[in-house]
Amino acid sequence: MNGLLGDAVTVSIISMSVIFLVLSVLIITIKVLVRLMPYEAPPPKPVKKTAASQTAAATSSEADEHIAAITGAMTAHLGQNPGHLDIKPL
Amino acid sequence: MDISFGSAALHIAQSTGFTALTSGHVIMLLISCVLVYLAIWKQFEPLLLLPIGFGCLMANLPLSLMSNVDEGGLLNFFYQGVTHEILPPLVFLGVGALTDFGPLLANPSTLLLGAAAQVGVYTTLIGAVALGFDMKEASAIGIIGGADGPTSIFIASKLAPHLLAPIAVAAYSYMSLVPLIQPPIMRFFTTPTERKVRMEQLQPISQTVKIIFPVLVTIVCCLMLPGVTPLLGMLMLGNLFRESGVTKRLHETAETHLINIVTILLALAVGSSMTAESFLKLETIKIIVLGLLAFSMATAGGVLFGKLMYKMTGGKVNPLIGSAGVSAVPMAARVSQKVGAEEDKQNFLLMHAMGPNVAGVIGSAVAAGVFVSLFGDPVAGADPHAAVESLHQIASVIGGGK
Repeated sequence: MNGLLGDAVTVSIISMSVIFLVLSVLIITIKVLVRLMPYEAPPPKPVKKTAASQTAAATSSEADEHIAAITGAMTAHLGQNPGHLDIKPL
Repeated sequence: MDISFGSAALHIAQSTGFTALTSGHVIMLLISCVLVYLAIWKQFEPLLLLPIGFGCLMANLPLSLMSNVDEGGLLNFFYQGVTHEILPPLVFLGVGALTDFGPLLANPSTLLLGAAAQVGVYTTLIGAVALGFDMKEASAIGIIGGADGPTSIFIASKLAPHLLAPIAVAAYSYMSLVPLIQPPIMRFFTTPTERKVRMEQLQPISQTVKIIFPVLVTIVCCLMLPGVTPLLGMLMLGNLFRESGVTKRLHETAETHLINIVTILLALAVGSSMTAESFLKLETIKIIVLGLLAFSMATAGGVLFGKLMYKMTGGKVNPLIGSAGVSAVPMAARVSQKVGAEEDKQNFLLMHAMGPNVAGVIGSAVAAGVFVSLFGDPVAGADPHAAVESLHQIASVIGGGK
């Protein structure tokens, strides 16, 4: 029984080492992969100019202030660089 | 043929199941009714326990020829899918089609939590050997700690087919009890401060990485552990169906109809193996006890490694997500979320816990691959003692060639 228990302990230690080794190799592989192919946000869909948007353009400075405030709040919440967000008026 | 009323009535009476009914059958019928009750009224893994319970019920009706050993019987045919290792990999195909590896790819170090939770497998292996099981049986029992039903069935059918029924029932029963088993262990090993940790938002992952990932995992893991290929290969194929975006029909079939059909066949096959001869043994009670140990140790292993990551990252990792490393997707991740929310209602750990959760699936498949390499594969040597001998040689080389 003691011999079998010793075998079980040996198998356990070696197996856990193999699992950590395999998964560590995977971690490195994933990190390399993510670094080589970073996420790129899809390009925003072109917005058709409407009469409403033309009216909004008249008050562009006010809209810009709103966008800046929303962008600031979103980046603070998401913990991202402001350059990653592209918020546009409707 | 001369048929009189009396002889016909006698013939029919003698051909009923009542004439062959034993106390073992009665006990197994009661157990099957308990499983059906737990599935329907307590909703314990109903998709599995209901067909398992009903398969057990049919298998224990005398003269019905519905047990897994009845040649030519319907469930004997279903059982061939277990014997020939067809059904568990097909379940993995469906699981892969259902799984989003995004959280894991966004935070790959959570793979280590999936590895740490496998400690439950090996402490149970040692416990099983201490209780008198041989190495192959102990390995099949230990894999219950992987909290992955198809993996448990796959390994049990390969290494200890005579223990398949109690192992499968223990695995699925404890998986349904994860919300009861895990929280006390998680609270015991963590402080309120650790449980309150809010983790940073996960970064988005490019679709190309999501497509390459399953191919790469299959190549890396299956080259290192060829025995894991049926499970991991199918898991990753299912995920490739999902992420590639060009196999919508296959993806939809794999994640719905296929996995449902295979689950019915697999659960009925497991139920058919629950005969009085194979189930009403002292070994079954030992396996049920060892199964609880496996789940508890796996949870503790994951949480303790989570604590280690908490320390090493300066408090950026919430140790509660470690418990999700036991697999049991997605219930274990939900438990992490629930226990975390008890301390801080605004703390959303679910997506963070999905990383170690799917890592647990890969981890338990790798653990299964190690067992197959050691004890099941003719390449590594079918004799477990030969495998252990080779391990001793490796250990002596590492230890300085003593």
